[in-house]
Amino acid sequence: MNRSTIILLIILMLCSLSLVAAQQKTRSLYVALESAQTEERRLNQEWLRLEYEQRNLSKSSRITDIARKQLKMQAINPGRTQYVAVD
Amino acid sequence: MSQISFSSTPNLVLRLPMWRSRLILFLIFIGFTALVVRAVWVQGFGNSFYEEKGNKATLRSIEMPASRGKILDRHGEVLATSLLAKAIIAFPDAIPEDLSKEKISQLAKLLGVSESELRKKFASERNQVFLKRQVDLDIAKQIKELGIPGIAQNNEYKRLYPEGEAMAHIVGFTNVEDHGQEGMELAKEKELAGQPGRRRVIQDRLGRYVEGLGIIHPPKDGADLQLSIDSKVQFLAFNELKAIAEKHHAKAASAVVLDVQTGEVLALANWPTYNPNSRSNLSGEQLRNRVLTDTFEPGSTMKPFAISLALEKGLVQPNTSMPIGKSMVVGKKAITDTHPYSVLTVSEVVQKSSNIGTVKMAMQLQPQEMWEMFQAIGLGQAPNLGFPGAVAGRLRPYKNWVPIDQATMSYGYGLSASLFQMARAYSIFARDGELVPATIYKTNNIPKGTQVISAKTAIQMREMLELVTQTGGTAPNAQTMGYRVGGKTGTAHKVEGKGYATNKYRGFFVGMAPMSAPRIVVAVMVDEPSTGGYYGGVVAAPAFANIVAGTLRTMNVLPDAAVKQMVDKELQLGPNGSTQKVSLSR
Repeated sequence: MNRSTIILLIILMLCSLSLVAAQQKTRSLYVALESAQTEERRLNQEWLRLEYEQRNLSKSSRITDIARKQLKMQAINPGRTQYVAVD
Repeated sequence: MSQISFSSTPNLVLRLPMWRSRLILFLIFIGFTALVVRAVWVQGFGNSFYEEKGNKATLRSIEMPASRGKILDRHGEVLATSLLAKAIIAFPDAIPEDLSKEKISQLAKLLGVSESELRKKFASERNQVFLKRQVDLDIAKQIKELGIPGIAQNNEYKRLYPEGEAMAHIVGFTNVEDHGQEGMELAKEKELAGQPGRRRVIQDRLGRYVEGLGIIHPPKDGADLQLSIDSKVQFLAFNELKAIAEKHHAKAASAVVLDVQTGEVLALANWPTYNPNSRSNLSGEQLRNRVLTDTFEPGSTMKPFAISLALEKGLVQPNTSMPIGKSMVVGKKAITDTHPYSVLTVSEVVQKSSNIGTVKMAMQLQPQEMWEMFQAIGLGQAPNLGFPGAVAGRLRPYKNWVPIDQATMSYGYGLSASLFQMARAYSIFARDGELVPATIYKTNNIPKGTQVISAKTAIQMREMLELVTQTGGTAPNAQTMGYRVGGKTGTAHKVEGKGYATNKYRGFFVGMAPMSAPRIVVAVMVDEPSTGGYYGGVVAAPAFANIVAGTLRTMNVLPDAAVKQMVDKELQLGPNGSTQKVSLSR
């Protein structure tokens, strides 16, 4: 066996090993991507839930109710409004 | 003597025949050939079976979830949204017989069902049964923590409606499968619905997805839908309806608010209603979107159209006076007024809502002209609103009219329309003669309407409609603080059987504000008010006034009427009592 064959054999082995390593890395990255995407979906859902909650807390019926009953507020009318012109 | 050693005794020399070694060699060769053939077979031609086996162990085709689009109001506030929920499924065969009583009672409590009901489901013959659907995530988590074998959970979506009953008729609702059943949810099902996708992955021993093999079909999230509805105005209108329905013990009430500049529907409210978040025992009465699906004889609210046509044709002027008298006979029927008048001008006919005066003007018109006018304002045609169940109403062809038909139609009997059609028809007065194309979706451009009457006639009619709300008119109750308003009352007997019920009425008010430059048309209808009056000017006009005041305030429209200021014109600013003059715009 001459030298060049041995060198080629070593290169071939290195290539094969790096292929295995790359495959392993791809898979672990893919797992990470998957879990990140799952997290994204979960956060999206959480955001939707919070948006709904915010809307529930800020809807007109609730505000009117609190303003009238708890804070004893009255609706404004033009007679008690200062209209300021915007130039 | 030659010595023959033992080992070389010729008798003992083994002479193996050549064929034996050849045979062995051949058998080894055959063995290797068989291996090669087998390897080629397994890896090459016949590998589909093994590939399938391998794929079964590692390949997965998984669903990619897609969510249903949200429904938003004109300011982007959420009217309908989908949140993740769980369906709790039981596999009766896998549930242990000796499940502790304690666990069953805990599960029943979490699911909100009785224990006996739960046991009945566990005893089911079926492969799997739904214990409960659309369970909130935190409850689902608690159920999972119970760790009962044979109980699984599936992802699904739960549709939620924060505005509840105030918005129920517009938004509608979806069923448990997330398909639209009513309202916009039904009308825009195609756009709103998401289409889940599917992809292929390789799963490892631990159940993780380690490699993506591509998407079979991509998921498509449903599109969000933005309506023209203003949730504040909607709430306001709904509250008013609820209040009048309670005050007058009415069977039903409806209101619609239309932005006449853009043609957008700002509010569309109905009473009675339902809560879209918890729908049980829903009746048709509650579900009906009366603004669009109920037609009725509009009564006196029709008068301005016949009269404006007479003005348009130059048959009369606003100050033309005419004798009225106690009654007027057309064909075989006598037409009367609630209060008899001797002489009225055209303006006063509108202001006091005289049937006789209206008929006198209408009878000078050709049936075809009147029919064309009614067609042009959208009667007899379903409004092109993209809303399920919007009705056309009834407008008979003029060729079949007899004189009494023409007379009664001029004051709103013998034809029918929905409240929405009436509101839209009034846009011709608010928009200087143009009928606005109405929409329920938010738009940013001002649409071009169709000219029905001249701007001059529209302005004349606006002045008359304003008189209606002033002293001497039929609806001083419609007056709104700070804004000049105008409109027309209507009180119609309800049709019952073949004739009119004597004691069942509908009261309406259709009007616009501010009169200096109309921004909105508001129509209010009260069905069968039973206490505290039944005239449109009594039951519907006050609600109109409140809706107008609130709507114009939220739209930042400056008052156009003189207002008695209840506060000082100097605004107090700062803690040290320093004051600053603020220039008032009027």
